[in-house]
Amino acid sequence: MKRNHLIALVVMAFLAGALMVTIQDASTYATFEMASKKTPESVTVVGQLDLEEPITFNSSTSMLRFTAVDKDGARSIVYYNQPKPTDFERSEEITLTGLSSGDTAFFAQNILMKCPSKYADEAQFSSK
Amino acid sequence: MNFIGEHSLWALAGRFFTYLAFTGALGTAIFYGLNWLRPEACSGPDELGRPRPAHEPFLRAGRGAFALHSIGVVGILTVLLTAILSHWFEFDYVWRHSSRDLPLEYVFSALWEGQEGSFIIWIFWHAVLGWFLVRGAKTWEHGTMTVVGLVQLVLTSMILGIYVFGIKIGSSPFVLIRELPENLGLPWTTIKDYMIRIPAFRDGQGLNPLLQNYWMVIHPPTLFLGFAATLLPFAYAVAGWIERRPLEWVTPALPWAYFGVGVLGTGILMGGAWAYEALSFGGFWAWDPVENASLVPWITLVAAAHLMFIVKKKKTSGGLTAIMAMLSFLLVLYSTFLTRSGVLGDSSVHSFVDLGLNGQLMLLLGLFSVGSLILLLVRWRSLPRSSADEAFSSREFWLVIGSLVLLISAVQISFSTSIPVLNKLIGPEGLVPILGEAMAPPTDVFRHYHSIQIPVAIVVSLFMAMVPFLRWDSTPNALLKRILPSLIASLVLGGLAAWGLKFDQPMYSVLLITGVFAALSNLDLWLRYQGGGWRSGGQALGHLGFAFILLGALISNGKKVAISQNPVFLHKDFPANENILIPLGDTVSMHPYWVEWTGERVEGHFQLFDVNFYGTAEDQSPGKKLFSLAPYIQMNPRMGNVREPSTKHYWDRDVYTYVSFADMRSPEEKASGWSEEMDATMGRGEEVFVFEEYMMRCDSIIVKSAQMIEETGDLATLDMAAKLTLKHMDGRKETIEVPYGVRGNEATPGEAEFVNLGVKVRFDGVSDEPGRFKMKFWRKAPEEQEFILLQAFIFPYINVLWLGVVLMAVGTSLAVAKRIAGPKPSPKP
Repeated sequence: MKRNHLIALVVMAFLAGALMVTIQDASTYATFEMASKKTPESVTVVGQLDLEEPITFNSSTSMLRFTAVDKDGARSIVYYNQPKPTDFERSEEITLTGLSSGDTAFFAQNILMKCPSKYADEAQFSSK
Repeated sequence: MNFIGEHSLWALAGRFFTYLAFTGALGTAIFYGLNWLRPEACSGPDELGRPRPAHEPFLRAGRGAFALHSIGVVGILTVLLTAILSHWFEFDYVWRHSSRDLPLEYVFSALWEGQEGSFIIWIFWHAVLGWFLVRGAKTWEHGTMTVVGLVQLVLTSMILGIYVFGIKIGSSPFVLIRELPENLGLPWTTIKDYMIRIPAFRDGQGLNPLLQNYWMVIHPPTLFLGFAATLLPFAYAVAGWIERRPLEWVTPALPWAYFGVGVLGTGILMGGAWAYEALSFGGFWAWDPVENASLVPWITLVAAAHLMFIVKKKKTSGGLTAIMAMLSFLLVLYSTFLTRSGVLGDSSVHSFVDLGLNGQLMLLLGLFSVGSLILLLVRWRSLPRSSADEAFSSREFWLVIGSLVLLISAVQISFSTSIPVLNKLIGPEGLVPILGEAMAPPTDVFRHYHSIQIPVAIVVSLFMAMVPFLRWDSTPNALLKRILPSLIASLVLGGLAAWGLKFDQPMYSVLLITGVFAALSNLDLWLRYQGGGWRSGGQALGHLGFAFILLGALISNGKKVAISQNPVFLHKDFPANENILIPLGDTVSMHPYWVEWTGERVEGHFQLFDVNFYGTAEDQSPGKKLFSLAPYIQMNPRMGNVREPSTKHYWDRDVYTYVSFADMRSPEEKASGWSEEMDATMGRGEEVFVFEEYMMRCDSIIVKSAQMIEETGDLATLDMAAKLTLKHMDGRKETIEVPYGVRGNEATPGEAEFVNLGVKVRFDGVSDEPGRFKMKFWRKAPEEQEFILLQAFIFPYINVLWLGVVLMAVGTSLAVAKRIAGPKPSPKP
């Protein structure tokens, strides 16, 4: 059975290696301030869309510009090189992955939105 | 009280069938269990090696209970389908998931859109498969059916929808809106004809437009049949280990394992086909947590199915096989937990909403996991010990190694997918705070998963290529040489192809060669040494199919080209912008094509955009017209518009395109020449910077008239206006009033224009914050030019992938058919 034990060891070693790589690859949740310190590392920022600031889309460069508020309440201008996602304004939380340009803006590579349950309309029954 | 127009009897029937299914499952578990766990049944075969006779009355009771359970399940399905088909919107489930204008074929999609519905389809498949055990499992019937009964008991509890001591157990699809906890006691629930009086009951919310696709009619039931198929190997393994028959169970479980491999594999890739055709994320696989969660059990099931051969032929590796078989089912449960608990909210686009069943889901998962673990630990000693090492050139040795490689792959995918769960457990705000800061999923999922999974795929394809040539016990060198022709051929062919395709990553080239090797060697083995008949074709075609899936995925993704390139870079580390702007009537270059946008048209609730693709002439100008595509936007006022791709299929490549942005305003709005819509929330005295050159100030909010209903004090009519001043940076200034009115429940947003400055305002309503109002601004377009933004990709050789899926399905069916047909001397390789 010696060889079987050896194999088990080798597999464990590979597994440990794979998991190490995985953990190192995992990004971190950050605030805009942390993101600017970590540049050029990619981070994930969870926050909200600031509806008081303009959301503009420049169609010739296909660049979306908006302002987001992170969990600490800090604001940052965000650039995203895709058209505005559907129902963007209705999102109650947005998850941005990307990197900070330093201190002026955040470049988002990906945006994931958490929308209020699409059953929100159900509230119409409870108000009657 | 009788409510007019309400089908409360049907709701009652649905509830009744649910309870019937629940108690039937309970009876199945108890009666089969009582029969099974008699001391003599558990001590294995009798002295003569014969299985002990079943205890008849209990066995009959068990079967009867399972029949009742099945009637209940079919009843549940019938009632729910009837309710959806008849548009009974007093049912909460029907109201949430369907509408009157839903085409007939999507009634099924509506049936399994919700969590309750997908539980029902899963339960249904378990019930169907259970009957195969009742009819054919023979001595295994009482053991496996006890397990099935327990699983069904737990699953039907998920749709019970009852409260025990204030704790919600399950969520029933037969709840009427009137009965929802948040509506209980509201005045309208006591009105006899509430269904007629309240307009909201006239139509449902409708099906999510993303799911209105034919793949969504067949993908979920196929996937769930695949999920359900993992129950049988699990049930056999548990029964076998409890009965101290830790090896014998694999023989009857084997065909089911391959059935599961085939169906689940097909189901997963049907989901891929749906994503490719209906979602505009530009591909068939995105390493989305929900996709991963269904892939992982498939991987372990593949490992289990292959290991079963070792147990069958060599009577070894019983432990690992049982672990893999049990793991497959447990991972299906885990994937259910992941997708339904809402824990993936931050990391997945398509997880379900939380129905408040987390506790129940975790209990279910914990119960079965701990139970399986204890069983394995307690009975590990009953495994026969093999003293000798397997020979290095034996098939069993490499099958074990191969399954361990698959296990590594499965563990890695699970780990990365579970990062949100890990945060809940050991994150800074978790149960046991170990981590200093929460882990976030990798920012570049493709790079992340590929860094591990591509090497795994290389090893797996090498194993697929060579292990079928090996023999049990040991392989003579003469037989090993049979691999050489396909090895040489694939080095040459694969090498040439890799050279031609010019992958930017060396690993991709290696995978291409090993993938070709896996395909060629299995074909070679089948045609030259196994006679090329259908009976022996299961292994070869299954492997060939999987090799094609790997190759198709590799080439179509690795050599995917965005032909719509916009030379605007956001950041040096980010890919170039893949949106290209096409003005109406213009033709723009998308190497190797020239693309023209000729116009748009509306068909039903689709807005189609006609684009023509031209070749490139020698002088680099547009050549002759090649084909036309019509990507469209599905307009859905309730859930938002959905961009849908359109694809030109060639045998060797797909040209895939979708409209990423289009001006969706009505023709009148467009004619008015307003563009650059912008939203803002304003209160009195607040200022907003608009269009980067104006300052908008809300001077005051004027209430012009208001009328109350005398009895209730509610507002009947209200007329108000916002006084706004717009200041340009050059000093020009203009003040206007924007009206806004309310009549009962109807609000009328008003519009007004700053004529001199060229800005229009719409007063949209009241914001959630008190004293603030929602406004929309447009500015006069300098000159009217219609345009769309288009994204277009070429996916080379994606048909290899789809062909692979078909081959794998055929291969696994042949393998299953062969095991069902029974043993017959098969030619040795």
